[in-house]
Amino acid sequence: MASEHIARAYDEELRKLNNTVAEMGGLAESQLGAAIEAVMTRDTELAVRVVEGDEKVDELERDLDNQAIRLLALRQPVARDLREIFSALKIGSDLERIGDYAANVAKRSIALSQTPAVRPVSALPRMAHVAQLLIKDVLDAYVERDADKAYAVWMRDTELDEMYSSLFRELLTYMMEDSRSIGACSHLLFMAKNIERIGDHATNIAENLYYLVNGTPLEQARPKGDISSLEVVTRADTR
Amino acid sequence: MSPASVRPVVSVSPPVVARPDGQPVQQKVSIRNVEFFYGTFKALKSITMPLHDRRVTAFIGPSGCGKSTLLRVLNRIYELYPGQRATGEVIMDGQNILSQGLDLNLLRARIGMVFQKPTPFPMSIYDNIAFGIRLYEKLPRHELDERVEHALRRVALWDEVKDKLTQSGLGLSGGQQQRLCIARAVAVRPEVLLLDEPASALDPISTQRIEELIAELKADYCIAIVTHNMQQAARSSDYTAFMYLGELIEFGETERIFTRPTEKHTEDYITGRFG
Repeated sequence: MASEHIARAYDEELRKLNNTVAEMGGLAESQLGAAIEAVMTRDTELAVRVVEGDEKVDELERDLDNQAIRLLALRQPVARDLREIFSALKIGSDLERIGDYAANVAKRSIALSQTPAVRPVSALPRMAHVAQLLIKDVLDAYVERDADKAYAVWMRDTELDEMYSSLFRELLTYMMEDSRSIGACSHLLFMAKNIERIGDHATNIAENLYYLVNGTPLEQARPKGDISSLEVVTRADTR
Repeated sequence: MSPASVRPVVSVSPPVVARPDGQPVQQKVSIRNVEFFYGTFKALKSITMPLHDRRVTAFIGPSGCGKSTLLRVLNRIYELYPGQRATGEVIMDGQNILSQGLDLNLLRARIGMVFQKPTPFPMSIYDNIAFGIRLYEKLPRHELDERVEHALRRVALWDEVKDKLTQSGLGLSGGQQQRLCIARAVAVRPEVLLLDEPASALDPISTQRIEELIAELKADYCIAIVTHNMQQAARSSDYTAFMYLGELIEFGETERIFTRPTEKHTEDYITGRFG
């Protein structure tokens, strides 16, 4: 944060707002880690804890919203202060969605644990690891107000997109080869999509951080690596 | 922040070539290298900036920064006081209004001024408006009546005073008195309106009325306003000039100044970090 305000309580309020964002970020990151562990270890108890833990992320978002509304109403911020509060609101919203996706992964892991294990499940933690790194790096960038680091995260999301596209094709192949795997593979497909979306929210955070630091939006088009939505699926024997 | 740490950095936005409605913005007044002296004390240091026609320009900055002084230069009201002088040029419609030999009464009819404290004359509401008109024009009674009514309507005061035009202007509320003073300035059909903290002595409702009035008046005038109220500057003006210790630190479109100022001093001041 920049140098101190004449009204020191204002600095304290902005610091609290930043801390809430950081706390939300840390929680969202650990929720994702726990959700993936629940998938890999078929630990339904852990999965339930992750689902229940999402309420804490939601609660922090409500707290963040209240702090931001109060600051807007009482301090009438301008310039950097205005961008700080505006960005905190938007980043809070992205972190809340990341928490939701982590909870979704955990929820599906409970159903997945009731079905026989399928091989592509091993690709999921690799995706989750990349997503966690994106969240971690963008949160570090937020704490350091580092627009260059935010930009690097923004560029790296393609890696996650490509992993998702690859897993999408692999899961389709499995489902086509063995219809008994359709249930498990469908769950995995949704989980992978959830993780891919987490990457998108990490890039949103990077964009907001870029705006916070520079005062201008990041306007260039973001590279996309997920081409699964463009693919036409046909069975080999119908070609 | 210590005064010594402030360096004269002037950041001026590129000239605006078009208004939001597509019409080109005209520069009404061009302030060029203006310096001002109270005796030997230099209160303004090489100020250069434009005032755009049919636009509001706000002068902001801490007390003593020279914003009111700059406003006083624009209609040479300082000449009422001995030992005060301005150098440089203030070009309006091709003419340097700081040049010697200019008719100051005519200049002040072209550039009206409204002060912080409402200053109605101790005469009737009608005569408060008619007084200025009579100085410059000899009009038949019915035309004078029309001009008075028009001026009072222009400041949204007509409905409140039309039945008591013969009563003293001093009997009006503070907010009404200030609108009366603006009507008095408007009545002589100026081209530029200078407002020196016009709402600082008024309650929030009267302040909002003045701000609404400024928004309406800018359709016809070039307006410069000095204010200590950051929100008022942000709400009411199209351009903002931030001044400090007699220097223009930054000038630009208000939206940019209040969202992403380029000068740290500006940012520190508008965000309340100015020590």
